[in-house]
Amino acid sequence: MEETMMSVRSISKSYGSNLVLKDVSMNIKKGEVVCIIGPSGSGKSTFLRCLNLLEIPTAGDIIFQNQSILNGKIKVNKYRQSVGMVFQGYYLFNLKKVLDNITMAPRSLNKKKKELAEEEACELLNKVGLLEKKDVYPVSLSGGQKQRVAIARALAMNPELLLFDEPTSALDPELVGEVLKVIKKLANDGMTMIVVTHEMGFARDVADRVIFMEGGYIVEQGTPSEIFENPQNLRTQEFLARIL
Amino acid sequence: MNLNWTDAFNNLVPSLLQGVVVVLQTTISSFLIAVVVGLLVAICRLTQLKIVKYFFATIVEIVRGTPLLVQLFYIYYVVPLILDSILKSMGNSSANIQFSAVAAGIAGLSINYGAYISEVFRSAILSIDEGQKESGLALGFTYYQVLWKIIIPQAFTNSIPVLGNYLVMMIKDTSLLAIISVSELLLRTQTYASQTFETIESYTILAVVYLLLSLPLSQLMKLFEKKMKILH
Repeated sequence: MEETMMSVRSISKSYGSNLVLKDVSMNIKKGEVVCIIGPSGSGKSTFLRCLNLLEIPTAGDIIFQNQSILNGKIKVNKYRQSVGMVFQGYYLFNLKKVLDNITMAPRSLNKKKKELAEEEACELLNKVGLLEKKDVYPVSLSGGQKQRVAIARALAMNPELLLFDEPTSALDPELVGEVLKVIKKLANDGMTMIVVTHEMGFARDVADRVIFMEGGYIVEQGTPSEIFENPQNLRTQEFLARIL
Repeated sequence: MNLNWTDAFNNLVPSLLQGVVVVLQTTISSFLIAVVVGLLVAICRLTQLKIVKYFFATIVEIVRGTPLLVQLFYIYYVVPLILDSILKSMGNSSANIQFSAVAAGIAGLSINYGAYISEVFRSAILSIDEGQKESGLALGFTYYQVLWKIIIPQAFTNSIPVLGNYLVMMIKDTSLLAIISVSELLLRTQTYASQTFETIESYTILAVVYLLLSLPLSQLMKLFEKKMKILH
């Protein structure tokens, strides 16, 4: 756990005169699980989206495996292949069966053979507990199942880093657990992850480090026990008092 | 009233069957071209390039703002004259350009329907959730791969009911080609009726033939729509 995988250096993001990310810096090491918490509108999602360039930061730099991803020298789509992302809204491809959702990217981007891609997809489906759903269309899945397929789809590209943008916020309460369990399993397998979440119990449980963001700034960061049991900043204390 | 249905039926129907072949040929080719044109125009209108965008927006407005009948006249009678005078001014005095009626008809139908279908595709593409695009990009697809592999297949599938509607409309609109002398159903009926004065019989048979062509298609569309609902 000593090798720095990604280094975010003073990035800012503004839309016109609206500055939503202000001078945010962080490092993430290989195998580390970072949870980002904070009130809505605090810039958490924008920050996460900057990391795989769905949003382009207006200032600062991001270094991934010793290479800047913002200097225009890397191919953005190639970079994204090594950084998976799971969205709040799942966004499975409705016209494709579950298995084809997962094999699509490896087959067309990595030119993987159909049999091999499907074999690997089945392993992944097994990992997220949905092997029996491989031949159904996404429409017949519950929200929790869709999100688990979305995780398998992201994993199929063998990413170095996995980003989760509020993966359980759209789910019915009773379905949250099954998705968090899968993410936890990935954490135990040593996957490097950044998770934007409102699930404080999960953050406390799984994160190596918790970051509290508000108003576009990183207000405070530390180990889960530092943040949840002994927050130093007044804003963090207020936020946690409000939701816990 | 003295109606001679057997006579009308026996003499008109064989000719109409040949007309049906013409209708199907022109409809199928025009519709396929219109779908391709519509898709390309829709994509061009969704690019960031302002010139391309406004160019095609203008074309679509011109086509939608003039009647198909006028467009058919224009393509069949006017365009050859323009081409002629251009060629003559370039020193080619022997030029005598003329389109076949069927070719002009297909061109007119394709352009007219292409304009409308481009609007169908454009709104269908815009209605696909932004998240579909983002999840494709996040997997590592390029913007154009996302467009062709993820967005367009969904937009196309969602458009099929409306496209079916346009297909049925086009079958009926082939009757307009009578005016530029394509021997489709209406022209054949007109000719027969004016020779025999079996006006009531002829045009009734004609209407029934159109119904027989379009009804099964609309039923097929309904069936397909039901099937697609399962995926959403």
